[in-house]
Amino acid sequence: MSQYAAELCALLIEDQFGELFARIFTTLQRYERLPLPRLKFYSRLTDRQLHHGLVAMIQHHLVYHFTSLEDGNTYYAANPQAAYYLVRSGKIIQLVESRLGEYAARVMETILYLGHAPITHLETLPDLRYLKSETTNGVVKDEEQEEQQVEEQEEEAQDFDQQAEEETNGTNGNHAEEVHQKPAPLHSTLKALASHGYILRVKDAHFQSPEDNYIEAHKAASNRSDIKLLKGKRLTEELLLKTEEILRERTDGDLSEAWMVNGMPRGVKRKFANGTSESASKWPQTDQNGANGNHADEDEENDWSEDEDGFDNIPMEPGLVLRVNYEKLDVALRNARFVEMAEHNALPATAEVYETLLRRIEYVTKRCRDTTEIPREGEEGEQFSLPIETYKIVNDVDPTLDLSSCMGPLHPASEPLNRRGKRPLENGVNGDHHDDEEDNADNEISRAYEINQHLQLLEQAPHNLASHVRLSDGIKWRVGFRGLARKLRHLELERLVEMRYGDVALRVLRVLHAKGKLDEKRLQEISLLPFKDLRQTLASMQTGGFVDLQEVPKDAQRQPSKTIFLWYFDPDRVCSSVLEDTYKAMSRTLQRIKFERNLRRDFLDKTERSDVKGNEEKWLSEGELEQLQRWRDMEAILLGVVSRLDDMVAVFRDF
Amino acid sequence: MSRFGAKKGNRAPGAEFTWDTDPGGVPDTAPTPLYPAYVVPFARKLSEKEQSEVNYYRHLRERFHEGPYYSVLDTSSSSAKKGSAARANFDAFHGMPSYSGRYQKKRRTLPKVANIGREYETRYFPRELWQTIMPNFRPNASIDGYHMQNAAIGIKRGFEDDEDEEDEAAKRRATGGDEDDGEGDVDEGELLEGDEEAEEEIVDDDFEDDEDDMGGDYNAEQYFDGGDDEFGDDGFGDGGGGGDEDTY
Repeated sequence: MSQYAAELCALLIEDQFGELFARIFTTLQRYERLPLPRLKFYSRLTDRQLHHGLVAMIQHHLVYHFTSLEDGNTYYAANPQAAYYLVRSGKIIQLVESRLGEYAARVMETILYLGHAPITHLETLPDLRYLKSETTNGVVKDEEQEEQQVEEQEEEAQDFDQQAEEETNGTNGNHAEEVHQKPAPLHSTLKALASHGYILRVKDAHFQSPEDNYIEAHKAASNRSDIKLLKGKRLTEELLLKTEEILRERTDGDLSEAWMVNGMPRGVKRKFANGTSESASKWPQTDQNGANGNHADEDEENDWSEDEDGFDNIPMEPGLVLRVNYEKLDVALRNARFVEMAEHNALPATAEVYETLLRRIEYVTKRCRDTTEIPREGEEGEQFSLPIETYKIVNDVDPTLDLSSCMGPLHPASEPLNRRGKRPLENGVNGDHHDDEEDNADNEISRAYEINQHLQLLEQAPHNLASHVRLSDGIKWRVGFRGLARKLRHLELERLVEMRYGDVALRVLRVLHAKGKLDEKRLQEISLLPFKDLRQTLASMQTGGFVDLQEVPKDAQRQPSKTIFLWYFDPDRVCSSVLEDTYKAMSRTLQRIKFERNLRRDFLDKTERSDVKGNEEKWLSEGELEQLQRWRDMEAILLGVVSRLDDMVAVFRDF
Repeated sequence: MSRFGAKKGNRAPGAEFTWDTDPGGVPDTAPTPLYPAYVVPFARKLSEKEQSEVNYYRHLRERFHEGPYYSVLDTSSSSAKKGSAARANFDAFHGMPSYSGRYQKKRRTLPKVANIGREYETRYFPRELWQTIMPNFRPNASIDGYHMQNAAIGIKRGFEDDEDEEDEAAKRRATGGDEDDGEGDVDEGELLEGDEEAEEEIVDDDFEDDEDDMGGDYNAEQYFDGGDDEFGDDGFGDGGGGGDEDTY
C-alpha cells in the first residue's frame, strides 16, 4: 500500500465514518496486523473506543480479523480494498438504479449502509417496505408503525398477493390512501440483485485477509490424506491446485447462478417495455387499475418480466447474509466504460447492440481478471469472454431499434426478399415488416444479419471492441477483455500526455510505443519533427516521468560522446506512477473539501441543526439559502472530480 | 541580470523609479518570479449522470453520518473530565453549552453498537468483541463455542427478565450469601463498567435527546447498579447534565 493510497483510504473513512474509524484504520495500516493490546498502545484509544470501533468497522468490512489457532490471539488488519470502494458507492448505486430501477437502488444503498445484513433484518426495515417513502417524519412514523403491525400479519401473504394487490388497489377503498406507499417487492428485488451478481452471500472467509485465507487453505490442503501420499514436484503442483480449490470454495459467495432464469438474471428491464410499445401495453393496464395514475410510474421503475412471476413468489432464504459484490460491479462498470468507447467511435445503434452483447457477457463474467495484479505489458495473454450467439443478441435488442438505416443495403439477403415478387417495391424501403406475420422468419434472419454487421463494425481497428468465432452453428461473438483493458490504459495515458504536453508529444509517445527504444536521430526521422521541438518535448516528458533515457556506453569510460542514448516509453512504469498521482490528486481533493467545509463551519453547523435541517426554506434567509446552494454545488464539483479520478484508478488498477 | 537601468545604457539613471510606469507592470529590478504563470485548468461541468452519482454518494454519506457509527475523537466540552486532554482543548468561546445549542448536531465519541435495532451475525466477529455486541454476554460463562448459542439466545429476553434477575441478585446480596464468589466478581466487573459507561456517556453533551437515543441502552448498562437511578440524573438533571459533573 503506497503512501497516498493509504492517505486516501483514511480520508475516505474519515469522511464517511468519522475520526475514530480513521484513527484505527491508519494505525492498522501503519503497523500492519496487530492484536488488541498493541493496537491500543499504538492508537492511544481507550478500550471502549477500540472495541466499539472495531465492531462497527468489522460490520462494514473495513477491518479484517483473524484468530490464530496456535496462540489464540485475534489479529486485526486494515482492509484497504473496502475502504477504497467507499468512493465508488455513488457510481454503484447509480448503476443499479439505471439497470434495475429506483427501488433496487434503495435496497442497494441500504445494504451498503449496513455493511452486511441478513435478509430477516432487511425485511424489518421501514424504508424498504414501500416503494415511495419520502415521508419519515415523526407523525408519519407512528402511522407506519401501525401499518407495519398490520403488514407483519400479512407478511407471508404479502409476497403472493403483491401482484393481486396492485390490481385491486384501485377498487379497494382502504388502500387508496396509501397508494404512495405500495408494499415493495423486496424479495424479488433482492433476487434480481443476486442474480445479477451485485450482492453475494457473506462467508467467514470474507472477514479474513486474503493472505490468511490462503495460508489456511494451504494448511487444509496439505492435511488432506491424498495429498500426503504425493511427493516432489507432483506434490507442489497438486497442493497448489487444491489450495486454489479450497480457497475458491471458501470465499465464493456467488448467488447469481441460483437465481438465473434461462441464463438471464431476473428483473432485467426489457428494452421494449421502454420503447414505443409502452403506449400499447401499459396504458390500458392502468385504466383497469382505476384512477390512480401513480402505477404507471412505479411499474416502469420495476419492470419484472411477466414470465418470472412464478419464481418471484418464493422468498429468499431468510438467514442469508448479504453484502455488496464489488468484483462483479467492477465488471459492470468496465462494460459501461466500453460502451462509452463504442459510442465515441460508432453510431448509437451500434453502441446499443454492443451494450446488449456486453450485458449478456456480464452475466457470465464473475470478475475482471483472475490475477490480483495487472500483469506486465506484453506478458499478458488474451482472455476471451464466453462467446455469445447472435440469436441471443437478436432477442435482447430492443425490437424497435432501427438497425438498418445506418447500414448499407443488405445485398446477400436481398435474394430471399425478392422471391416474394413485388413486395419490396410496394413497401419501398424495408420498414414495415412488423405487421406481416409471415415475414417474421425473414425478419429474424435479416436482423441477425444486421446485428452481425454492426458487431463487425466494432471488430475493426483501432479498438477491436469485439471479435467473432465462426462455428458450425453460426457466428458467436466474444470480447477480448484483457486487450481492451490494456487499450483503455493506453488511451488514458495518451489523453494525459496530449493534455499536458500537446499533440507533438503524443506523436512522439506513440512512435516510441510502437517502435520500442529509439535513438534520438532515428526518432526524429520517424516522427518527422524538427530537432528543437523534439528535444524540448522529450525533455519535458522526461521531467514528467512519461519517457525515459537509457545510456548504452561504447567504452569503459562512459564518455558522453561515445555513448548511445536511447529513449523509451515503459507503459507499466508510467501506469503505476500515474496511479499514484491519481491517488494523490484524489486525497488532495478530499482534503480540499474538508478545508472548504472548515472555512464555512459555523454556517454549515447552522444548516445541520436539527430544527433547520429539512426545512431550510423556513429557517434560513435568502442569502443563506443561496450560500448553501453554492456550497453544495462546489462540493458536488469536487466530489465529481474525485469520481472522475476514480474512473482513472479503475482503468489503471481494476479493469 | 540587469541590476540597474544604467547598465542597459539607453535609459537615464533612476528611470526605473519613475512614478508613471504602467500599473501592474513589474519593475526591472524585481526578482525573477519563482513560478512561471500557468493556466489553471477548470473542471468541466458535471454531466447529469455524474451529478446523480454525486447525489447518491452524498446521500449515503449523510446516512452514515446520521447513523449510529459516526463518531469523532474529541468533542471537547466543559463537561469533560478534569485534567483530561479534552478538557484542555476546550474552546471557551464556542464550547459553552447554551440554550440554542440544544438543536446543534450532536457528535458521538463512541459508535453505538449494541441495542440499535440491528442484528449482528455474531459468528462473524472475533470472540473478544462479543461482549461489545451483546452487553449481556459473559465471556467466562463458557469456553466452548457451542455453549455460546445459549448465551446468544439469552440476549433476546426483554428487560423485564433482566429486572427479575436484578431482584434476584439484590436478594442474594441481601441475604449475604457469599457462596458464589465467581459470580460476585462478575457483578463487580459489570458495576465498574457501568460507571465507566456513565462517564463516557457524559462526554457527548446531549441535552434532552439522551433518553430517546439511548433509552434502551441505558437500561441495559445500568443492569446491576440498582441504587443510582434514584438520583434521577437521567430524568430531570439533564438540563445541567453536563455541568453537574463539575460540582462533584
